[in-house]
Amino acid sequence: MAKYLIKRLLQSVITILLIVSAVFLLMRLMPTDYYFSEDELMKLTEEQKNARLEAEGLLDPPLVQLGNFLVRLARFDLGTSRRIQMNKPVVDVIGSRFEISMRIGLIALGIALVVGVVMGVLQARFKDRTIDHIGTGYTVFVNAVPHLVSYSLVLVFGARLLGLPSLYSVRKVQESSVLPIVCLALTSIAGYMLWTRRYMVDELNKDYIRLAKLKGLNSRQIMFRHVLKNAFVPLAQYLPYSILMTVGGSLLVEKFFSVPGMGPLLTDAISRYDTNVVQGCVLLYATLGVLGVLLGDLLMVLIDPRITLGGKEETR
Amino acid sequence: MKKLISLLLSLAMLLSVASMAGAAEITELHTYETQAREVETWNVLKSQKATDNNVMVNLVDGLLTNNNKGELIPAAAKEWYTEDGGATWTFKLNEGMVWCDQAGNVKAPVKASDWLWGMEWVLNFAKNDATNTSMPFQMVKGAQEYYNYTKELCDTEGVEAAKALELEKFSEMVGVKAVDDTTLVYTATYPMSYFPTVCTYTCFYPLSDGLLAEIGVDGYRAAEPATIWYSGPYIMESFIAGNEKVFVQNPNYFYASDTEGHKRFERIIIKMIESQDVAYQLFQTGELDHCTLSPSNLTTIYNNPSNEFHKNLVEARPTKYSYQIHFNFDKLFEDGTPDENWNKAVANEAFRQLWYYGLDLTEYLRTLNAINPLACVNYAYSANRVAVKSDGTDYAALVVAGQGLSYDSDTFMRYNPDKAAELKAKAIEELTAAGVTFPISVDYYIAGGNQTQLDSANALKQTISDYIGDDFMALNILTYVSSLSKEVAAAHKASIYINGWGADFGDPINFLSQETYGEDGAYYTNTYSFANNATDEQLIATYKEFTELTNAAHAITDDNDARYDAFAKAELYMMEHALCVPIYYDVQWELTCVNDYTKVYTPYGSQTYRYINWETNSDIYTTEDYAAFAAAAQ
Repeated sequence: MAKYLIKRLLQSVITILLIVSAVFLLMRLMPTDYYFSEDELMKLTEEQKNARLEAEGLLDPPLVQLGNFLVRLARFDLGTSRRIQMNKPVVDVIGSRFEISMRIGLIALGIALVVGVVMGVLQARFKDRTIDHIGTGYTVFVNAVPHLVSYSLVLVFGARLLGLPSLYSVRKVQESSVLPIVCLALTSIAGYMLWTRRYMVDELNKDYIRLAKLKGLNSRQIMFRHVLKNAFVPLAQYLPYSILMTVGGSLLVEKFFSVPGMGPLLTDAISRYDTNVVQGCVLLYATLGVLGVLLGDLLMVLIDPRITLGGKEETR
Repeated sequence: MKKLISLLLSLAMLLSVASMAGAAEITELHTYETQAREVETWNVLKSQKATDNNVMVNLVDGLLTNNNKGELIPAAAKEWYTEDGGATWTFKLNEGMVWCDQAGNVKAPVKASDWLWGMEWVLNFAKNDATNTSMPFQMVKGAQEYYNYTKELCDTEGVEAAKALELEKFSEMVGVKAVDDTTLVYTATYPMSYFPTVCTYTCFYPLSDGLLAEIGVDGYRAAEPATIWYSGPYIMESFIAGNEKVFVQNPNYFYASDTEGHKRFERIIIKMIESQDVAYQLFQTGELDHCTLSPSNLTTIYNNPSNEFHKNLVEARPTKYSYQIHFNFDKLFEDGTPDENWNKAVANEAFRQLWYYGLDLTEYLRTLNAINPLACVNYAYSANRVAVKSDGTDYAALVVAGQGLSYDSDTFMRYNPDKAAELKAKAIEELTAAGVTFPISVDYYIAGGNQTQLDSANALKQTISDYIGDDFMALNILTYVSSLSKEVAAAHKASIYINGWGADFGDPINFLSQETYGEDGAYYTNTYSFANNATDEQLIATYKEFTELTNAAHAITDDNDARYDAFAKAELYMMEHALCVPIYYDVQWELTCVNDYTKVYTPYGSQTYRYINWETNSDIYTTEDYAAFAAAAQ
């Protein structure tokens, strides 16, 4: 187990380094004009542009730049933002945003898990009955309707009928978080409902369930002690990943409700060519992604005794 | 009879008072920006984008500002004058101005030397990365030389040596002097009547040496609302990137006691929102005090008389940007080879003039302003009111009148079908002889996914088809991802561009110098039209003549009227030869509780969003209200 963990951790570090290096080099393939805003392109002379690029080391060969970047990274120095918040350390730019994304994301995830799994269980238990049809209808609606449309419906309903703030506000954190959380939870609920129902129905058709019924267990015992426990295993694998990725925020929801979180940061940084912030975001997302998969694997081992890690019988 | 009239007037007044009884001035303004327009820097000397300047000019006072008529008015300077025909300019500052921090604690007096520290920062390569240097280079004696000195210092002794520079070397080299704490003297590079207009721009803003001592050079480079000092009408109480900014009154503002002449909001909240459509939703729920309408929302409200906002549709004043069609004289295909067919066509004067005389752009303008398209008409290259002659004549009006055109028309006046037919025949003959094949393909790029731009492009395509003919010319609508200049213009890929220029200062040279031939500072020539790469001798001769006319006008420094007449002659020459084609002003529709006619309204500089003296009404203004405001502003 320990040997396996060390191996996976080393693989993870290499994966992360490969990802950030690839992104770094890809960004250096862009023409240098991208380092300047439209106003700067208008007003700086060619000589001034070159002087800026030279001073920032952006005219060095890409591999030299990569080497310098990795050396700085080893010192946990991600540099400063060039455009998002000029000259502010990237760590601060990211740090000021991820707490909000994580808070909203975790609450939404908690609601989605509880509501989604419970609804999925009920749908499986009462398959082809009214509650199953309602659940299926909801899942189809959420997946079929473009998210921006459903968010607009939530906004109109929440703001006009319930009087909730339409936009996130740091001065009214609790009230203004309701609509973003609802929107985030809406899609996740549908996902958990869909997969819980599916795995539960699969399990219900297995022989050991028939045996349990023959042994006289009641349906509640069968559903919660046996079916849900086994059906939850595939869902549990993605739980750590989902929890960690709440840090990344949601691009659509955060833009729509002006939540000052991580969601739009990467796309903003790319569109403004804020290379240091892009690198910081990529590093963060790559680390969380790799860590999420690793923790998911470990969680599977903990909740399903049939799965083991390491050794000759290694199954993961 | 008199009694009856008096009675009726009194009744009318009573009714109007009664109708306004529930209305009140807004003390807490709720406004917005779209998220792509977030502030990038809190360093006023680094700020260059309109989105940054719109915020910063409320936090720090420059020497001068503008009023709602576009006139220069005092800010930090109470008076300004030249005694030598514009070679040097003296500014007398108000006595008793102070800098304070975010909490309102007074930190230091505002002194004339703060403008020296500000200019030193701008010109020091190690401090401001060459940003905002273009205007000081052109206008302040010794500015370019000092910049070069700091750049060389960075190369020879390192960045830290340049960062450590104070005012000794600067004062020796640059034409800015603090005679005493309240007297500032600039020496211009040449006699310059419009120099005071430059002083509304943020690159001429002050910086306290006390602030530098407190947070250091690197601290000011990474300035934040909590670290900067304030001397303007407002303090930034809180800033959450991508969410909101909250301004509160600066209690130490010099004009704080002048609550009539310098009326301020108690609080301003700027929300960052995803799109104009969200702004409209927020306006409906009462969370915003104004919103600009997207074309679809405007049409929906306009076409439905029972819509709750139908009577509140108001037309905003034109923005300061004058939009033109630029031709690319050195077009390349995607593979980098020249598009000879287009390059030959566009070098032909009759072909270019066909764009000028042959298109009735009304339907195109309707995509920009569905209700009143002709409000957007633009017949001059330079923006309205950028300069005014001594008899009150607007410089741009000279250019419009010189073409025999007028804005007082209910048609698109420039369209001349007889002349267009003549030009088309001439162009076909000359271009066929030159080996050009028809239809001539015109590549035009718009932002991918932008429905408004797509609608406008389709309208332009249809207009070309209707008025010039698909057999002669066909518009291809193509898309770019994020940057027209970087993805398209840098690769010379488009045949035409539609660009808007807003002046930095109040003189026609700021417009015309963007189009001259063979000059480094000519932005559009070097970045979009690539006229310097043209090979057609007649085209080059035309450009050279235009450049000579422009430079001759610029050389007139002792007589503004003669200067503006000479610029108008150059601009008319540019129109006559269709080197580029003016196309529109941006005139949008909105729902608002703010009287736009009381806002700063200037065709140059960065003062437009100063939240001073805004007249507001808690009831939404009606179309009639705005018609009255517009009539009064005439």
